[in-house]
Amino acid sequence: MNVIIAGAGSVGRYMAGQLQDSGHSVTLIDNDSKVVTQGRATRTPVGVTWCLGDACEVATLKSVGAAQADVVAAVTGDDEDNLVVSLLSKQEFAVPRVVARVNNPKNEWMFNDMWGVDVSVSTPHLLTGLVEEAVTVGSFVRLLSLEGGKARLAEVTLAAGSPAIAKELTDLGLPRESTVVAVLRDGHVVVPRGDTVLHQGDEVLVLVSGGVEDDVRRALVG
Amino acid sequence: MSLLRRKQRDDQPVEPLAPPHCTPIAETEPRQHVCVTGKVIRMTARPTSGQPALAISISDDTGTVTAVWTGRREIGGVTLGRKIAIDGVPVMRGDHLEFTNPGYTLLPR
Repeated sequence: MNVIIAGAGSVGRYMAGQLQDSGHSVTLIDNDSKVVTQGRATRTPVGVTWCLGDACEVATLKSVGAAQADVVAAVTGDDEDNLVVSLLSKQEFAVPRVVARVNNPKNEWMFNDMWGVDVSVSTPHLLTGLVEEAVTVGSFVRLLSLEGGKARLAEVTLAAGSPAIAKELTDLGLPRESTVVAVLRDGHVVVPRGDTVLHQGDEVLVLVSGGVEDDVRRALVG
Repeated sequence: MSLLRRKQRDDQPVEPLAPPHCTPIAETEPRQHVCVTGKVIRMTARPTSGQPALAISISDDTGTVTAVWTGRREIGGVTLGRKIAIDGVPVMRGDHLEFTNPGYTLLPR
């Protein structure tokens, strides 16, 4: 895939390296000439194309081939810049997938399709989710929001007393708008089938869409 | 930005945005910058993640496209049956092409 990354900070460079390693063609844009010169000179990350310029300018995006890009990732340290890059990518170049980094969680509400953002990633929110997940057994933890919150991946670690224990998945009475996508048991991933029986301590990953979260919580947590 | 590009300074002639520069809707390709003209056949003010957006469908003899403007529920002069030219980069959405915040010109009826 053709990927354009705006912002060559530690996040941008790391992503570029990873994506390039997986065989994608990556262009990194930054407006700091020191960063770009150093990146070009040291050839790190390997194979990445560098561009010195302001990613908030249509001309810069055009020059790096945004019109053909499959993905644009706006991962600068400035939420304003990330929003501008996202909007331009969507509006001017109809980029199919625009990913934006949220630096300040207070700004997260703006990172939606109004601003051309398909997926927003907020490090603080992710961390909160992961910490919550680490410390809570027997409660319902939202891990990831998809499609602007219309679908969510949530996790429940089954505590003693959960109504789901010793039941087959088909007997849980989960609403149709939700599905169990994986069960983590003793460090293994169990691919869920209708007849999979849940045990205490299982980590159940559920994909929930629409407003059925309460029903799912009731079935798994009690 | 096409919206900004549309804003002309007074001393510059307004660039015409009407046929024959325009492409028939059936010949528009996704992700190619085009201009299309047609009649507004449908208007919806739809909430996008709880925020306003105006979506209109434009039809010529060959097909239909959709244009969405975010952050607003109406545009002065854009009414059902109005002839309009749209200038932007469309993306395939389901079975039809959709423009996001395109430039527009109201055409004489």
